[in-house]
Amino acid sequence: MFHPKKPSSMSSHERPMCVQGDSGLVLTTDPKPRLRWTVELHERFVDAVTQLGGPDKATPKTIMRVMGVKGLTLYHLKSHLQKFRLGKQPHKDFNDHSMKDGMRASSLDLQRNNASSSGMMGRSMNDGNNVHITDAIRMQMEVNRRLHEQLEVQRHLQLRIEAHGKYMQTILEKACQTVLAGDGSGSYNKAAAAPEFGPTVSFPSLQDLNIYGSSEHLENLHHQNMERDSFLPAAADNFLGKKRSVPYTNPSSGKSPLIWADDLRLQELGPTDDQIGPLSLDRGSDIDSVSDIYETKPMLSGDHDKKYEAKMDRPSPPQRTAAISAGGMQQGRSSPFG
Amino acid sequence: MAMVMDLGFPSFDYSTTTTSSTTTMTASSTDEGSNWNAWSPVVDWEALFGDQEDFQNLIDSMMDENVVLHPIDQLHEEEEEEKEYNNLSREYHMAAAAAAEDSKGLRLIHLLTAAAEAVAGPNECRGLARVILVRLKELVSPTDGTNMERLAAYFTDALQALLDAAGGGKQPHGGVGVEHHRTDMLAAFQLLQDMSPYVKFGHFTANQAILEAVAHDRRVHIVDYDIMEGIQWAPLMQALVSRKDGPPAPHLRITAVSRSGTGRRSFGTIQETGRRLANFAASIGQPFSFHQCRLDADETFRPSSLKLVRGEALVVNCMLHLLHFSHRTPDSIASFLSGARTLNPRLITLVEEEMVPQRDGGFVDRFMDLLHHFSTIYDSLEAGFPMQWRARALVERVFLGPRIMGSLVRMYRAQETGEGGSWEKWLGAVGFRPVSISFANHCQAKLLLGLYNDGYRVGEWELTTNKLVLGWKLRRLLSASIWTSQDCDL
Repeated sequence: MFHPKKPSSMSSHERPMCVQGDSGLVLTTDPKPRLRWTVELHERFVDAVTQLGGPDKATPKTIMRVMGVKGLTLYHLKSHLQKFRLGKQPHKDFNDHSMKDGMRASSLDLQRNNASSSGMMGRSMNDGNNVHITDAIRMQMEVNRRLHEQLEVQRHLQLRIEAHGKYMQTILEKACQTVLAGDGSGSYNKAAAAPEFGPTVSFPSLQDLNIYGSSEHLENLHHQNMERDSFLPAAADNFLGKKRSVPYTNPSSGKSPLIWADDLRLQELGPTDDQIGPLSLDRGSDIDSVSDIYETKPMLSGDHDKKYEAKMDRPSPPQRTAAISAGGMQQGRSSPFG
Repeated sequence: MAMVMDLGFPSFDYSTTTTSSTTTMTASSTDEGSNWNAWSPVVDWEALFGDQEDFQNLIDSMMDENVVLHPIDQLHEEEEEEKEYNNLSREYHMAAAAAAEDSKGLRLIHLLTAAAEAVAGPNECRGLARVILVRLKELVSPTDGTNMERLAAYFTDALQALLDAAGGGKQPHGGVGVEHHRTDMLAAFQLLQDMSPYVKFGHFTANQAILEAVAHDRRVHIVDYDIMEGIQWAPLMQALVSRKDGPPAPHLRITAVSRSGTGRRSFGTIQETGRRLANFAASIGQPFSFHQCRLDADETFRPSSLKLVRGEALVVNCMLHLLHFSHRTPDSIASFLSGARTLNPRLITLVEEEMVPQRDGGFVDRFMDLLHHFSTIYDSLEAGFPMQWRARALVERVFLGPRIMGSLVRMYRAQETGEGGSWEKWLGAVGFRPVSISFANHCQAKLLLGLYNDGYRVGEWELTTNKLVLGWKLRRLLSASIWTSQDCDL
C-alpha cells in the first residue's frame, strides 16, 4: 500500500556513519557515501538558497559556492535542491528529522508521527496520491483505534456488570439472613408484600371505592387475563432469546440481568405465599415468634418453589437458576442458627 | 380518536395509554414523539367525555358528591361551582359530538389536570377537587389497568394528600413516611436494575469518568454524597484491579456522607454498606478503606469534617434523586457541592434526574411536566418487561408511588420559592469547570443501553461535552455530568 521511493536505501539507517573532518558532514561509510542532511546543514542550505533569490533561481553550483562546506558535492546539492523545490516549504515545519529520514519513513513511522509531520512528509513525496494515501492510512488507523477501544470497553463493561451482579448478590443474601433472623425492626409487614401477587387486593386508600362504573371494566379484566396468561414461560423465553442476541452477552457468565429477575421473582414468590401471609402478619412485629417463622418458612417456601415450577412448567435454564437460588436461600437461612 | 386529534390536540403525546393495550391501539401512537408541552391542558375540556352518557354520569356523580361534601353553610361556594359546571357543561356539549370515541387515558389526564387546577386554585375550588378525585378513584387502581391508569392512581393519591393538607389536615409527609420493608425495597431495586438502565447508566458513566481521572494515581479518595447500598463502587473496584497501565490497583478510600437527622438507623446502614464494600474489595484484592462523614443537624456539609490525606486524588460523587434514592433538600445539596468546591477535587461526578421545568408556569404546568415525566418512566419500564406486570407493580409501589407523592408535595410547596432547576447548571454557575466525556465513556453508555429495550437513547442533547443524557424515546430521564475545580485539564 505504501512504497517508499527508494526501496534500496531503506536500510541506510543501520549503516555505519562517520563524521567527516571539520565540516561536520555526516556520511555513510559506503563505497558510495551518502550525505546525511542534518538540521544545521539544511539551515545553511536554506540560507544559501534564500541568498540566491529562492529555490528557482539557485543552482547546485551557486549553492555550493555560497555554502562553502568542504566535502559537499554537486551530486548531493543537486538532489537536495530538487527535493527542496518540490517540497515547496519543507523548511518551515522541518522538525528534527533530516530530509532523508523523513523520505524513508515507513508507514509504521507514519503511524507514530503526528499529523503535521506526516502531512509534511506526504507533501515532500512529490506524489499527489501519497497525500491521499497518508490520509487514508490515518483514517484507517483512527477507525482501528476506535474499534479496538470499543472492544476494550465491551470487555470492561462485561466485567463491571458482573461485579455489579456479584455485589447485588451479597446484598440480597444478607437481606435474606436479616429477615430470617428477625433482626432489627422486626416489622416485616407481609401485607405490604402481598398485593402484587393477589390481583384482587387493591391500593389501600381505594379499597372502598374500587368500583368500575364503566364498560371498560370488562376490557380491563380481559387485559389482565391476557397479561397473566402470558406471564408464563413463553414470555421468559422471549426474554432469554433477546438477551442471547446481544452480541457480547456471555452465556457462561449466567449473570444476564434477566436471569436475576427470574431468581428474584421466585424469591419474591416464596415469602408472599398465601399460606405464609397470615402467619407472619399476625406475628410480624413479635420478636418471640422469630423461631416459629424460622421453623416454618423453609419448608413452606421450598414446597412453594416446587409448586411454582410445576405449575409454570418452566424450561430448563430458569429451573436451574431457580434451584440455585433456592439453594442459596436455604443456606442463608440456616447459617445464623448453625 | 383521529377526529379528536384533529380537532383539539395534534401535539398530544398519547404513548402512555396505547403502548400497553393491544386491543385499543390507535393511530395516534405514532404521534408519541410530538411535543407534549405545547399542549395546553386547560382548554381541552371537550375531550373529557366521549359520549353523552358518560358525561351525564360524571355530572351526576359530581353533583351527588357535592351535596354530601358541602354542608349548608357553604351554599355560596356551591353557587359558584354551579356556575362553573354550567360553564363547563356548555363546553362538553360542544365537544361531545366531536369526540366520537372515548379514550380512558385521555380522560384520566384531563381529570387529573382539572383536579390539579382545582387543588391549586382558590379555596372555593376545593369541593370541585374532591369531586374529581372521587371520580378518579373510581376509575383507577395502582395495581390494575394500563400504565396511564396506574400512574393516575398514584397521582390521584398524591393530590388527595395535598387536598387533605390544605384543608387543615395532617401535612403530607412527602413520601418519607411510606416505609416499605427492606426486602421489598431490595427486590424492587433489583427489578429496577434489570428492567431499565437507570441505575447502571449513572453509576457506570460516573465510574468511567473517575477511572480516567485517576488513571495514574496511587491513592484515590472518593467522597460519596449518598452511598445507599454502595452498589456503584463494586464495578469501580473491579475496574481498578483490572486496569492495565498505571500502578497496580491504587488504594481506594471511600467516605460516605451520612445524614445525622435520621439517627442511628441510617448510621448503621452506612456501616453495613462499608462492611459489605470492604468484604467485596477483599474478595478481589482491592486495597480499600471506608469512612463516614456526618452532616450537621440541618444537613449542611462541613468540609473540615472530612479526613483528607495529602497525595490522594480526591473525587466527589453526587448521585441525586435517582428513582431508588431518598430525597435531599436543595440546601443540603448546595452546601455539599459548595463545600466540595473548597476541597479542590480532581473530579466531580453528578447524576440527576432530567426534570427541568419545561414551562414557565404555575403548579398546573409543572404538574403536567411531572405527569409526563413519570408516564415516560412507566412506559420505559413497561417496554423493558412488557408482560411482568407484577414485577412492575412492585417497582411502582416501592419507588414510583412515594416518589410521585414526594415530588408533587414539594412542587406544591415550592410554588412560592421557585425551587427547581438543574444542579448541573448550578455547578457551572458557581465556577466548576466542565470535563469532556471521553469516547470510551460514551461508548460504554451505548453498549449498556444495548442490553435493554430499543427505546433508550444516550445523547448530548445540548452543546455540552461534559454531560451524557439517558433518554427514552424523545424524552430525557437522567443525566450524568462531570466537572473539576482544578485548573489543569484532565
